Amino acid sequence: MSGLLRAARLAGVALAIATAAHAAGGPGSAPEPEGLWTGPMQSYTPSTLKGAEVVDVARAAALIEQGAVLIDVGPADRKPPTLPKTAVWAPQHRSIPGSAWFPGAGPGDLSPAQEATLKARVLELAGGRLDRPMVTFCQPDCWGSWNMGKRLLGWGFKNVFWFPQGVQGWQESDRPTAVIKPDSVWAAAAKAEGAPAARQ
Amino acid sequence: MTRDFAPLAAALFAAALAVTPALAVDDEAARDQRWTSLRQEVFGDRKVEETKDVVSLEAPARAEDASLVPMALKTADPASIKGLTLVIDENPGPVAARVTFGPAGDAGLLKLRTRVNTYTNVHAVAETTDGKLFQTARFVKASGGCSAPAGTSEAEALRGMGEMRLKVRDEVTPGKSAQATLMIRHPNFNGMQMDQITRAYTPARYIKEIKVTYNDKDVFTLESDISLSTDPVIEFGFKPEAKGQIKVAATDTEDGHWEKTFDVPTQSN
Repeated sequence: MSGLLRAARLAGVALAIATAAHAAGGPGSAPEPEGLWTGPMQSYTPSTLKGAEVVDVARAAALIEQGAVLIDVGPADRKPPTLPKTAVWAPQHRSIPGSAWFPGAGPGDLSPAQEATLKARVLELAGGRLDRPMVTFCQPDCWGSWNMGKRLLGWGFKNVFWFPQGVQGWQESDRPTAVIKPDSVWAAAAKAEGAPAARQ
Repeated sequence: MTRDFAPLAAALFAAALAVTPALAVDDEAARDQRWTSLRQEVFGDRKVEETKDVVSLEAPARAEDASLVPMALKTADPASIKGLTLVIDENPGPVAARVTFGPAGDAGLLKLRTRVNTYTNVHAVAETTDGKLFQTARFVKASGGCSAPAGTSEAEALRGMGEMRLKVRDEVTPGKSAQATLMIRHPNFNGMQMDQITRAYTPARYIKEIKVTYNDKDVFTLESDISLSTDPVIEFGFKPEAKGQIKVAATDTEDGHWEKTFDVPTQSN
């Protein structure tokens, strides 16, 4: 979807919540919170992430060429409980090829167990190297990837890249996408904990 | 706001000027496989013949707004068509609409507005009165249409729910098919949108059936789930008589039910 329409739609939302004055500015207008963001995952984000580089599609593509680890925290599709039994429900997730997908890892208030699982798994994907370039993304106006970048910095990663345009920006530049499954370790842990990975 | 939009507009303009690769066929095999599996789920083992002669589909190659993507299904020989199915392959709930036409309906042109979640093939499938299935497809570039917030609070979006308007587009001449556009006010919440005030997902609530009759004869029945846009707009064909009424009945997933009758005046000679 075009940024203009997105801005128009979210501007309507922003007017509705005029008390949160900072949100009314437009995409990328929110100030950086001190720590992780625990507000609505889908709303205007900041345009910066202190300690990380904010990247566009071309820069993200260059980083991928150089072997960056791709962390997608986009949400899994939620099945409406009212969907008729006969309706076809076939969710799938398209992402940048080669990404590790952590649905539900975006919120700022993960449980300590979730946080530990996430950290261990991400470190594993980075081969234990804190200097490995790490690219975090989901979709525009999604705090999940901002939080993920913030977490990586907190865990000591030195080369953190936040890609706010995410899968949508990637797709809209006509780059290839692939259908991927949730990261197996993350999904297994979520299942064991009884928490559906679908939680955003 | 104008000031805020200016750089955006400039960026969009620049993006429009940028050269787009002629073909962006990413993993075509995976997309074909997706359709094969959906086709089996929706139509079982029945043969679905690929054609452009029976049914055609008009959709934007690149949608301006992924939560309002117009689709137009056309059939060459409306009298031979029993039903139309619109499948947005890569949506989580891919079957956007199943339409069955009645004796007062005309399957020549059906227009709908849909949500598209990601770049996808869209299939229009026609079933003929002799039970054969025909399909045609288009690739549509749009993304993010399913999680796009409603733009207003939940309470605001529910206000006036079920209000209907009908506009007959053609001069009505008995015995000659006419097109009409139906608008129903309904948020069609798909359960994937977040309320910006309560910070919670708005529970799914969407229109599941729309039944339209003309002088008590069926025009069409439409079954839908979460892929129709907010405030559904449906353009359809019907066969008017000398004088008549169109009756619309809509039902949603919370057992909301709305009916409205519209007079259809014919052209006086």
